[in-house]
Amino acid sequence: MPTELPYAAEAETSLGYEELQVLKTQYYKEIEQGHVTTQSKFNYGWGLVKSGSAEYQTEGVKLLQEIYSASPAHRRECTYYIAVGYYKLKNYAYAKRFNDLLLSVEPENMQAQSLRTLIDQAVQRDGYIGMGLIAGAAAVTGLIVAGLVKRSRR
Amino acid sequence: MSSINSTSLNLKLLLIGNSSVGKSSLLLRFTDNEFLSDEETAATIGVDFKVKSIELDGKKYKLSVWDTAGQERFRTLTSSYYRGAQVYDVSSRQTFDELLKWFKEIDTYCGEGVVKMIVGNKVDKEFSRQVTTDEGRAFAQRMGALFVECSAKTKLRVPEAFEELVRRILATPALWSKTSATPSRRSEPIKLEDDSWSSGGCSC
Repeated sequence: MPTELPYAAEAETSLGYEELQVLKTQYYKEIEQGHVTTQSKFNYGWGLVKSGSAEYQTEGVKLLQEIYSASPAHRRECTYYIAVGYYKLKNYAYAKRFNDLLLSVEPENMQAQSLRTLIDQAVQRDGYIGMGLIAGAAAVTGLIVAGLVKRSRR
Repeated sequence: MSSINSTSLNLKLLLIGNSSVGKSSLLLRFTDNEFLSDEETAATIGVDFKVKSIELDGKKYKLSVWDTAGQERFRTLTSSYYRGAQVYDVSSRQTFDELLKWFKEIDTYCGEGVVKMIVGNKVDKEFSRQVTTDEGRAFAQRMGALFVECSAKTKLRVPEAFEELVRRILATPALWSKTSATPSRRSEPIKLEDDSWSSGGCSC
């Protein structure tokens, strides 16, 4: 009997406020000391991506993308969490891009397979809201339009 | 027992233990009755999750099983999920020896009274066994944990392990009675060791 997949545990669960604070404090403490370890930065980025706030998620994706570029050793998990982050931000084109990157290296990865299904379902449901955000002016326009759409719904 | 009659009780289990002891395989065998070879699997990133409903003595239970990455780099991340079962690999001494480390994690992150189970996985690799059954059982007894040896590969005692864990949780109403109205977010740690030893199921 198959289970109730797809499911991305990391996309669905958030940390408690205090748990996130612990990761944040450690990260900023290391910034003050002048040396940030990749692990602390990754932990905080992970916690931000898992949060329920789009602002935090965006910041988390940014941190993880920095690690992605700087530390090949962390590329695997960063790729996954960046994909999760974009998925939560409803930027499905980017979510798919990063998730496919992981799947190209690990086609058997069940977490990535599950996330792919979630992304595909979301695209069918919502459409590629983030499709216009590729670069430059188009991205800016897209953001504004998306912002307006969001606001007008409220 | 009145509180569990109406809706099926949701129990949370957690699988912890060193890398490659077979935590994900144990879960996949339990939930989907499948087994994948080394080449077909990828190390878990952070935390994964599966749900399975089981029937025990005529009652239904929904098990939410959290499968954690065994790699050191995810330690801080997975600690936020604590409450579960430890697994070790019976063909790998190290995975058994490091069970103690996992018990410390449980002590740190779980409340008292969680149900713990040590699971010695990979008994199909009998020829390369490094941890004896007696050793495993004695350790579990010392740690106040349930003990089972199984094989996710051959399916030997896998469902039984989860059922035993659930029975013990049910016999500990303090773990679930207060939250039975809303599906509980409590977890039961299961520690897995490769070849070994895994312990499973503590409910915090």
